[in-house]
Amino acid sequence: MKVHVNTFANLRDYAPAGKGSFELALADGASLTDVFAALRIPATVQAVMLVNGRRADAATQLNSGDEVTLFPPMEGG
Amino acid sequence: MYGWCGKVLRVDLSLGKITSEPLDPNVARDYIGGRGFGIYHLRKEVDPTCDPLGPKNKIIMAAGPLTGTAAPTGARYVVTTKSPLTGAITCSNSGGNFPAELKKSGHDALIIEGASVKPVYLWIDGNRAELRPAEHLWGKTTHETDDALRRETHEKAKTAVIGPAGEKQVLFAAIMNDRDRAAGRAGVGAVMGAKKLKAVVVRGEGEVVLADPEAFKAANTKYRDAFKAKTKDNPPALRTHGTAITVVGTQSHGVFPTRNFQQGTFEGWESIYGETLTKKYLMRAKPCFSCPIACGRVTRIPDGPFKGEGEGPEYETVYSLGSDCGVDDLAALTKANYVCNELGLDTISMGSAIACAMELFEKGLLKESEAGMPVRWGDGHALVALTRMTGMREGFGDILAEGSLRLATRYGRPELAMVAKGLDFAGYDPRGEQGMGLAYATSPIGGSHMRGDPAYFELLGVPVPADPHTWEDKPPLVAKWQDLFCVIDAAGLCVFFSVRYLVEQNLMVKPVGITELLNGATGAGYTPEEVEKIGERIFNAERLFLVAAGFTRKDDTLPPRITQEPMPTGPAKGRVCMLEEMLAPYYRLRGWSAEGVPSEAKLGELGLL
Repeated sequence: MKVHVNTFANLRDYAPAGKGSFELALADGASLTDVFAALRIPATVQAVMLVNGRRADAATQLNSGDEVTLFPPMEGG
Repeated sequence: MYGWCGKVLRVDLSLGKITSEPLDPNVARDYIGGRGFGIYHLRKEVDPTCDPLGPKNKIIMAAGPLTGTAAPTGARYVVTTKSPLTGAITCSNSGGNFPAELKKSGHDALIIEGASVKPVYLWIDGNRAELRPAEHLWGKTTHETDDALRRETHEKAKTAVIGPAGEKQVLFAAIMNDRDRAAGRAGVGAVMGAKKLKAVVVRGEGEVVLADPEAFKAANTKYRDAFKAKTKDNPPALRTHGTAITVVGTQSHGVFPTRNFQQGTFEGWESIYGETLTKKYLMRAKPCFSCPIACGRVTRIPDGPFKGEGEGPEYETVYSLGSDCGVDDLAALTKANYVCNELGLDTISMGSAIACAMELFEKGLLKESEAGMPVRWGDGHALVALTRMTGMREGFGDILAEGSLRLATRYGRPELAMVAKGLDFAGYDPRGEQGMGLAYATSPIGGSHMRGDPAYFELLGVPVPADPHTWEDKPPLVAKWQDLFCVIDAAGLCVFFSVRYLVEQNLMVKPVGITELLNGATGAGYTPEEVEKIGERIFNAERLFLVAAGFTRKDDTLPPRITQEPMPTGPAKGRVCMLEEMLAPYYRLRGWSAEGVPSEAKLGELGLL
């Protein structure tokens, strides 16, 4: 299956070819953990994770066509 | 005293008299400083029903015991007064270098009272303080004023000034310190203008004396090291891209206010968010005093119709002068930000008033002949022109200068002002962020995010995430965070570092690190529980001022757009803010009556009877 991934700030460093927004092919039944593995994001790097605009965590199961958003925790606005 | 300087300067502008008063050690212990000193003196000395722009109102400028120390982000002060925009209390917070300089001059706080007949400025040079004529500065921009004052006092002096907007009593005029930092909200600059006080200039060579330098240093090192360790693999987005990176959090949750809160997603967001700012216009990051984060932005627009140089924009400005007005031209909104800084305007209320005007124009209620120009969504040229006209109170700007609520009321549609208690919302739509709705409605100053910011846990994952769409869990969280922000604002710290490093990293945010630093600085021997109680005392004292000023439950409200009109698009589609459902449990757990009045039992518990 394919999901759409949007990465921001330092998490963009792990995006293929430095493009912050891209398609990612994953095995059926994959979770956000598999997205982190595919992008080789180290465990020490923190991320806020959304799937289709809703808060998610590493165990969240993905479906084909989902929109995944990853950005660092931010200290303020 | 330690941490505290032990001195308050009272400035009577009517009599031209300045007196130095000792800081009461009991007040220091029970209110810490900053926002705490502000409400203590406001309640004691100011009639809550007074005319905010009359001589009976006072301005309390107060630093905290950690201001001017080496504590991370020990840079802040708070300006407390009765707001001319809302009639409620306002307590506006700013960083930069002016607050630390105030402490180095040997003062914890200034109480400014009365009103001068002619323009004056206050010059504090260590122990000496005098009022000087300021006719020659009246009419000058904030930058021109800062330049002139440092020339005629001391080149290293720090300034807090008003621009033409404050002089002309624009109801959301700011007090600008260190040129581009703002105590922005709810018209503190208009109160200063009404008192004919153009500026406070301060120079100090002293040091804040610490009670236990070793304990203070140990705590300081511990938390700075924690920051360094975390940022090794997680470069702080606020340093790299400034607070405008926050657009990512709000847009992706569908709460990025767009076209006067008609939508929660903005199609032009990528043109105006932090990473675009970094690429196009950032010159350098700029920290406040003793800050390891450095979120400030020095920017330059190299060419084109909006050419200029200055500081900003921050996230709230990107929302207010950007998405909320449908403007996707980063140069235009940055230029409008520069104009706000130079004329001394709150960027949030400025953008919100223009957004309201744009909706009135869209609906055919505001005519081109009245505004002097078409006021269409997304028009960057109109944005900059209207901002300048507002700061100078020229043409239609004279109407915008009264703020969005009076504007919308003038055209028969008060519900189109996106405000709580008359103060314009920050950049978060409560329909997709339930806690923010409760926070706006119960904030003592009105629609501010900085009186207990639920965006941290609802959107930004700090210290840990909570679901932004649930409302049942929000009343205790909002109350807890409101009290915490009272503590941060009293101590003289910035929330950006505090919420991530100086509190326990769970939703209950016990202020352990803040307590350690306070004890090292003051020797007060606080427990974290006592410090939490002080936060609650400050919040309730502010509530008492509101109650005495005539505010009741009916004022703890949000516009019908937020509570009745479902969000039309995006991740929060179909939702409204469940304010009424949250309000009753919130009052109960606060120990307030069904009308929102603190009970005698609660006041007794907090020592406020």
